[in-house]
Amino acid sequence: MSTPLVNSGRGPRQQFELSIGRVTFRVQMSDPKLFGAASARYRAFTGAAAPPIKIALNDGALAAGRAADFAYEFEGAALRAFRSEIRFDGVRNQYALDSLLRVLLSWKLLGHRGFLLHAATVVRDGKAYIFTGRSGAGKSTVASLSPEGSVLTDEISLLRREHGMWRAYGTPFWGEFRAAGLNISAPLAGVFRLVQAAENRVTPLRPLAILRALLPNVLFFSAEAEANRRLLEILSQAATEIAGYNLAFRKNPTFWEVLP
Amino acid sequence: MSTPAAVVWQKNPDLAWREIDDETVIISPHDSVMHELNDTGSFLWKNIDGKKSAAELAELLVENYQVAPDIALSDAQALLDEMSSRKLVVTVSATGGVSL
Repeated sequence: MSTPLVNSGRGPRQQFELSIGRVTFRVQMSDPKLFGAASARYRAFTGAAAPPIKIALNDGALAAGRAADFAYEFEGAALRAFRSEIRFDGVRNQYALDSLLRVLLSWKLLGHRGFLLHAATVVRDGKAYIFTGRSGAGKSTVASLSPEGSVLTDEISLLRREHGMWRAYGTPFWGEFRAAGLNISAPLAGVFRLVQAAENRVTPLRPLAILRALLPNVLFFSAEAEANRRLLEILSQAATEIAGYNLAFRKNPTFWEVLP
Repeated sequence: MSTPAAVVWQKNPDLAWREIDDETVIISPHDSVMHELNDTGSFLWKNIDGKKSAAELAELLVENYQVAPDIALSDAQALLDEMSSRKLVVTVSATGGVSL
């Protein structure tokens, strides 16, 4: 999984390859402690089938005058994406690395007709059920009420359109329901907006209502107009092609009985 | 006697928008706010092209919705003012200046 690299003037760099939603990265770093933590955290997502995008972690100052295609800063950690490589700087722990990976992935998925969504994904009978909502809506509850091994994530879902069909992928990004994640995918059964209630009830949504349900829960960090146009195009297509529902549910597994 | 410079309206170029279910959804990337326009608002939005004044847009409302010209003008102006307050549209003066 790891390969030591030679790097003059710094400690030897190590690297591991990540594949999340079939977007592949090669992460290089010289901090052995961070490397150990990160490679353990993403162990279910290591290995890349496609040529990976190189991410250089804490690699020092850049040559002046290089304008990034995309840049983002988060609590002292900075992401800069260039045509041929990605730089993460000021990353002090695995949580900062995890945050920048989410930001980077949300941006990279634009080129793959995909997006990240605050949602739990549960696979049942070979289909992916996406349960979306803000913090406290019940994503982790749904995950905890679902059979072990069926939950792809309880926090951040990855949706991609491939060959005319929407699929959900597991991610290593988890909330309360801690697990390594499952690096598998399944075609979508539907997107369910969670509303906790005294009884279970499912109500179909029109495309505009699906878009309304998706938008506040999409992870996206670019304020650039063209990137937002692309995102809205992808989400609008998803809203017209994916089945969407409001799901009022009780906090027990009986909600599965009302799902279509 | 001075004549006010002709003012035409254009969409704020920083926005992203899509039409879905006959309504227009507009995203403001800087604050991630989602705006929705109903049928009439969407019609107006489609015709805001940086060349038409409120009066010209009102004429299109008259043709399309069979409303009286004075009502169309007042509706068009109210919608444009509302969109302007949300920074969805900007005015362009005859001299080419743009104001938010």
